[in-house]
Amino acid sequence: MADPDFDAAVRSHAGDLYRYAYWLARDRQQAEDIVQEALLRGWRAFPRLRDPSALKSWLFSIVRNEFLRLVAKNGPAMQSLDDPGMEVSDERAGLFGLEMRDALMALPVAYAEPLALQVLGGFSCAEIATFCDTTEGAVMTRLTRARQALRRLIAPAEAAGRKGGES
Amino acid sequence: MNCLDYRRVLLTGDGETEAMRQHRLQCAHCAPLFREHGAMENDLRRALEVAVPEGFTERLAESLATQRPVASAQRTGRRRFLAAAAVGAGAIGLGLYAWIGRDDPMAMASIDFVIKEEAKSIMMGAMPRAEAESRLADSLPLASIERIGQIRHISPCPFGGGMAYHVVLMTPQDKVTLLIMPDSSRRSRASASHDGLYASVVPLRKGSVGVVGMSAAVVDSVVGAIQA
Repeated sequence: MADPDFDAAVRSHAGDLYRYAYWLARDRQQAEDIVQEALLRGWRAFPRLRDPSALKSWLFSIVRNEFLRLVAKNGPAMQSLDDPGMEVSDERAGLFGLEMRDALMALPVAYAEPLALQVLGGFSCAEIATFCDTTEGAVMTRLTRARQALRRLIAPAEAAGRKGGES
Repeated sequence: MNCLDYRRVLLTGDGETEAMRQHRLQCAHCAPLFREHGAMENDLRRALEVAVPEGFTERLAESLATQRPVASAQRTGRRRFLAAAAVGAGAIGLGLYAWIGRDDPMAMASIDFVIKEEAKSIMMGAMPRAEAESRLADSLPLASIERIGQIRHISPCPFGGGMAYHVVLMTPQDKVTLLIMPDSSRRSRASASHDGLYASVVPLRKGSVGVVGMSAAVVDSVVGAIQA
């Protein structure tokens, strides 16, 4: 494929790639750097892409790869993609009544990532599983737990009060 | 379908199947849940769609445009080097010329992986052996690899637009890196040489494998063992 194809793909997906990078890194500047560096690498590797229909998922995968590179470089300050690390329900139980975006911020990256890929990228559970090199079942579990956690986190304050009254 | 199944699938966000829709239309409990879920999905989408910084796409395009001449110059320089190396190689033998004269993109990418990605891949940790055995059974079984050398590391990694399995192998001669690509088929062997590393990509029963080493001899030896 020629460079104009790559340029068009970048223009078409730049916004969602940035948003995906943002929900991985949780930092606007880092998200911008990740996408920029990833696309530079992507441009170099673009001639080797054999299946044009895989372009979108390939772009998302190189952004993911760039984020992983940052994780490896910066160490434990950034969250792992593979290890959810904590039970959302227990650790975040005190955060009832959050706005959706704050609730998303409270999710571990391992839960937020498949949500971002599904909602922003439009990828199916099977595609996300391939993308993240895990099983479809694992993706479905994470998506379910993520939504359950979000429901709890954004539950209105009275729900928290009701729960407190029951105990 | 029952309510439990309906709710379980709904929460994955993978859409409502016809069977689910039929259940919802007849279920007084799941119909309001569906409406609530729809509202939450709208909120979720709005929340995930964080604002893209002003001028981001333009900055990106500009950055790519300014980097390209540099990259092109680097590639030209590399080609000049390879050409010069090929001339020199001609003096010492056609075999070495064959290595340097070729510039297969996947073999080059395998070398790039070793230079830029291998350390990170190792730092990210290895995959369980049982899983590796299962994933590679149809392309290059672990038992076959272990007849060539000792496996020091194995993990999945994004590579060449798909998924590969990165294997660090200690052979009797030297350390070798394998990039096993179960989903990337190839008809014949192709090679490259760059930055003091040698690589060949060869077809497997299913997919292909990139072999990267410090010398053409050790790569040839491993390729021969794989194809035996």
